[in-house]
Amino acid sequence: MNKKIILLLCSLLLIVNIGFSQAKKPTIMVLPSDVWCNTNGFMMEFDNQGTKVKIPDYKKAFQESADLLNVISKINGLMADRGFPLKNAESSLKSLEGESAENAMLTSKNGGSVAESPVDKLKKTAKADIIMQLTWTVNTTGPKKSITFNLQGLDAYTDKQVATAVGTGAPSFSAELAVLLEEAVLAHLDGFNSSLQKHFEDMFANGREIIVRVKKFDSWDGDLEKDFGGKELGDVIEGWMTANCVKGRFSTTDATENMMLFEQVRIPLYDASGKATDARGFCKELQKFLQAPPYSITNKLMMKGLGQATIVLGDK
Amino acid sequence: MKKTSKLLMAAVTLLFAVVYSTNASAQAGKKADKDTKLWRYEVQCVGVGNEGTKLIKVFSYSKKADIAIEQAKKNAVHAMIFQGFNGNSGSGCPTQKPLTDNPALEQEKADFFDAFFADGGKYMKFVSVSGDGQVAAEDRMKVGKEYKIGVVVSVMYDLLRKDLEAAGIVKGLTSGF
Repeated sequence: MNKKIILLLCSLLLIVNIGFSQAKKPTIMVLPSDVWCNTNGFMMEFDNQGTKVKIPDYKKAFQESADLLNVISKINGLMADRGFPLKNAESSLKSLEGESAENAMLTSKNGGSVAESPVDKLKKTAKADIIMQLTWTVNTTGPKKSITFNLQGLDAYTDKQVATAVGTGAPSFSAELAVLLEEAVLAHLDGFNSSLQKHFEDMFANGREIIVRVKKFDSWDGDLEKDFGGKELGDVIEGWMTANCVKGRFSTTDATENMMLFEQVRIPLYDASGKATDARGFCKELQKFLQAPPYSITNKLMMKGLGQATIVLGDK
Repeated sequence: MKKTSKLLMAAVTLLFAVVYSTNASAQAGKKADKDTKLWRYEVQCVGVGNEGTKLIKVFSYSKKADIAIEQAKKNAVHAMIFQGFNGNSGSGCPTQKPLTDNPALEQEKADFFDAFFADGGKYMKFVSVSGDGQVAAEDRMKVGKEYKIGVVVSVMYDLLRKDLEAAGIVKGLTSGF
């Protein structure tokens, strides 16, 4: 009798858990575009083996452009009002610097320091799931000024533009740049949010779109053409993807004996137990599948945010 | 006696006149309501409004100019929910999509919208006529037997959206997260 009650309670809890489980909310961050940084002189230049490479200097931009701060602050405020508080890029950069300094100083009582691989170091950048890339240019016609404003929502993993708002404001003889910029944000943010909402609705209907990479360590003696019961390993992985993607939707963009790249992979927002999932959760199942017989392949799973995961075969 | 009957006649005539004019006004109002439901209005963006608002000019049709002006408020809110409006480069307005992309929403939630758009309904909370409802000469046109009147109104767009989200009529940006 007691067992039955416990079983009933557990079932109820599971139903409630599934009912109230929420999909993982993407993080959003506003960053100035490369074009804006270049036009306004916020670029760093370095020599990459003889080739001059320019990259945006966000720290300098945040420290020196009050207009940029005003625009980001306005966008942050309006997005928070829509229930989507944004990650602040300037604060993220400061946190990263602080953490690096802390890690460098941190030692255990026995003299050990914090473990950090080169990949860990490389991953230490300000990141978000969706980047709101901001560009504006000031147009001048005689005494009149206007602003061309461009806000692009870029998925950090699929590199797709998932939302947009672009346009030129009304020309003005007297309004200051700060006022024109505020007006541009007010004019365009609703349009941007409409297209962002469309993207979310598509995600809820057809699953989250992610990228999955499969690679191999050179120390492993097998490869993706290794035969398992008449099927190559690459085909086995593709079969697993077909069975587990929403409506079997994915594209194999690249496939060689050493690597496979799957794009437009649509994964369910919730796993079998009703828990919200992401690229890592989805690929953990593939990892288990490959570790189990008859494949028995040791492999390493790495992730990047909600939408990108890499499995490296042959070692941990 | 003659004087009394004359007075009585005058009173009856006045009563008829009042009843007729009230009835005619109500009929015109009903006709204007019908026009709204048939989306028989036009919307132009006038400029970027203050934070949370949209400044638009609504052209409504009615046989009576004052009803067209009053109807403009209803049409403005209706437009925000179901139609949106086109951008206007001269005034710096971008194209605004409607709050819902479900064309059948008005029928699906008929109970809600009938009460919402009733005379004196909740829609009035989200709209105000700009410039005391004064109509520019070029915005007052006689089209056949009726007037086409353009009135500038300010719609409290953010409040309207929040209200519809809270009522479960439209989805919010964070729905599902």
